Amino acid sequence: MIKIATHILLVDDEKDFVEMLSLRLQEAGEKVTPAHDGRMGLDLLQKEHIDVVILDIKMPGMDGIQVLKEIKTRHPLVEVILLTGHGTAETAVEGMRLGAFDYLMKPADFDELTAKLNGARQKKEAQEERIRKAEARLLLRKGGNI
Amino acid sequence: MGNEPIQGLRLLLVDDENDFRQTLVKRLNKRGIEANQAASGEACLALLAERPMDVVVLDVKMPGIGGFDVLQRIKALGLSTEVILLTGHAATQDGVEGIKAGAFDYLSKPIEFEHLLGKIRQAYDKIVGTREKRQAAEYKARLAQQMIATERLAALGTLAAGVAHEINNPLAIINEAAGYMRLLVNKLAADTPQREGFQKALDKIEKSVKRARTITHQLLGSVRKNESVLAEVNLAELAEETRQLLAGQARDKNLAMTLEAPADLAAVWVEPNQVRQILINLLGNAVHATPEGGRVWIRITASGAGVTLEVGDTGTGIPRENLDKIFEPFFSTKTPGQGTGLGLYVSRQIVEKLGGSIEVHSRVGQGSRFVVEIPNQVEPHKGEMQ
Repeated sequence: MIKIATHILLVDDEKDFVEMLSLRLQEAGEKVTPAHDGRMGLDLLQKEHIDVVILDIKMPGMDGIQVLKEIKTRHPLVEVILLTGHGTAETAVEGMRLGAFDYLMKPADFDELTAKLNGARQKKEAQEERIRKAEARLLLRKGGNI
Repeated sequence: MGNEPIQGLRLLLVDDENDFRQTLVKRLNKRGIEANQAASGEACLALLAERPMDVVVLDVKMPGIGGFDVLQRIKALGLSTEVILLTGHAATQDGVEGIKAGAFDYLSKPIEFEHLLGKIRQAYDKIVGTREKRQAAEYKARLAQQMIATERLAALGTLAAGVAHEINNPLAIINEAAGYMRLLVNKLAADTPQREGFQKALDKIEKSVKRARTITHQLLGSVRKNESVLAEVNLAELAEETRQLLAGQARDKNLAMTLEAPADLAAVWVEPNQVRQILINLLGNAVHATPEGGRVWIRITASGAGVTLEVGDTGTGIPRENLDKIFEPFFSTKTPGQGTGLGLYVSRQIVEKLGGSIEVHSRVGQGSRFVVEIPNQVEPHKGEMQ
């Protein structure tokens, strides 16, 4: 079976972390776009087709929750997995209320991360599939009217 | 000075004249005062060694050990016993010497009974006053100690959480770097030299990261958890206790400090020490923030699932820009050294741990109100059910 790469946007102010996790995910067959702050992440989201965002909560400038709100407003179908230190677990739960798919505590277990990435991507694909079908029905109905 | 008996007084009469003693004991008895007796200085000291007394009425002129010697020995023992000397007629000099040696007062024989009774009362009042003062001081010192301990713990907790949090980041980097290396090594041909060595080393790195991760997460988790001792607490009593503790400070600033609570307030299951800490912090702040002649109040009302506790003042108020910050650790507007900046932080931690909430309403120049909701934590039977 050929793995279809999930296109991931990784947003974290720790550059070394972004670099290492990117390499690891790429080596595991995913496509990763790195970003070092929320603003940069949002800009990249405009330009590139992203399936899932891995988003650090604690960042200087725009924090993860602000970025999450922006993402959910502008790109509601993009799924977000939050990364948190232990101290911000409450914030992570709040983030899930705001539409994040799930959260992970740093340092994250890779198998867990992979599982959540897959879950997030499946959710996104299922939603996109429903939209496609709905569009198809809409076209059919319109066609019928002619 | 009424005729009511003196509560809890332990009295000893020391005189070698039997008749005199008996008469006095009878008259004291009629007033509801039980007096112990000793017929000599020796007997007096022997009795004192066994049973402490509050007031000793001591004849100066006795065969054997005289009254002065007895007085000196009592004072040398460092007892809190007060001594009233009975001197011979017109022996004023003796009496003055006695007071110099530590006697409470002296009376010249023949004594007038009411006079003696009055002196006994005064001596006993002095003892009770000293005792209460000492107890209050001890209680205050103990509370201060507890507060310091709690605040230090909070500071330590904040520090520990900060350190643990900071360590998690490099740990995450090590984790991903090792994971990446593992993927690379796995792709190497099986006969690559040192392939096993790399894998073994990576195993160790990953295991160690997991171990460190457990430690940091435990550290972060333990900050919030504490052993809790629940008790059935009447918050009105607790508040009154706190009010009295700060009454001195309020008096110094001429503040009116009132406590309002319904008489039928139901007890709640909470941790008394924690709630006391909240009260002390809030009330202390209120007293501190209120200028001369102002008003500070505690109002307790029953609410649906627990108790609402309000601490208000007519003080300086909190500027709007500070309202968000006052619950942060180390935020303080007091001069350095006067406040740790942890009082409200700790209070909020406690309230949240109790499952309650704390709110502040304030207007600059008019005063502040802190409203704390304390839920009744558990049913008394919960422990048995679990």
